[in-house]
Amino acid sequence: MTALYVLDVPENTTVAKVAAEDPEVTVGRVGPYFEITADGPIVVDRRATGCRHAVWYSCIAGVAGGRIAQHDKDALRVEPA
Amino acid sequence: MTDAPLEHKVRGVDHAAFPTFDPAATVRFYRDVLGFPVVHSICAAGWGPENHPDFIHFFFDIGNDDRIAFFYYFGLERQHDEARGDVYAGFGPEVPEFFVRSRHLAIHVDGEDDLLEYRRRLDASTWPVEMQIQHETIESIYTHDPNGYMVEFTRAMRPVTPQEDLDANLTIDALLDVVGEPEPTFGKLLARKAELIVERAADWELAQERTRQQEQEPAQGVTS
Repeated sequence: MTALYVLDVPENTTVAKVAAEDPEVTVGRVGPYFEITADGPIVVDRRATGCRHAVWYSCIAGVAGGRIAQHDKDALRVEPA
Repeated sequence: MTDAPLEHKVRGVDHAAFPTFDPAATVRFYRDVLGFPVVHSICAAGWGPENHPDFIHFFFDIGNDDRIAFFYYFGLERQHDEARGDVYAGFGPEVPEFFVRSRHLAIHVDGEDDLLEYRRRLDASTWPVEMQIQHETIESIYTHDPNGYMVEFTRAMRPVTPQEDLDANLTIDALLDVVGEPEPTFGKLLARKAELIVERAADWELAQERTRQQEQEPAQGVTS
């Protein structure tokens, strides 16, 4: 299973919200972090989040059991290791 | 991390000092354009074993009683002739631009109105604002002073939250772990940080909640 951690601050909340729209993805919490988990890939569309670039490129707090396959102006994609 | 934290006794920047070869432009920029008062200066005859030139060491108030200071050395020639960098450090074409632009001084302002006021002052001068950027939680303007030093003015777009302090500390602990091993990468840092989040973040939130409750209990006692 892949887990993506995102700190719960106002700038980041749409990242978790957009990730949760995928029925294969579960969004829980560990302390003040969103814990976004899936058996397969986790994909977040940047434009849907509305994040400006500085926020978008610094929104990832941690990745467990996977690797970042894409993190550019279009999307964030975390794939199982 | 079980040791009690060292008492934090320092009180900000007394002064940060830089050499200048153009004191006239430096005074125009800091005093006349930005309006930073001259608050101290030292006229010193050269002394010491190194054939030290006579110099003027002069200070501008950058708010909060903090100061930026300059050294002007009489008769000293420029110390490098590289086109890039500042008067202190020059860089050849092999050095990437992001590295040349990494070192800077950021001066804090209270809000958007004050940030835009300094933008107006700079834009009306010989040293207009080169960039205005909203970062993660701060907004900044940038220019280079007459000596080539990059100066930033920045305002917070919101207060820093307690969880950001936790996150910063987890980042640093993960970074130290990763740079202690061969070939550190961003991916390794994020993997290590994920482990630290799982280990510590839930306990941190419980501790925060307990602290909040303890702070509220005396107040409730007074009102009941």
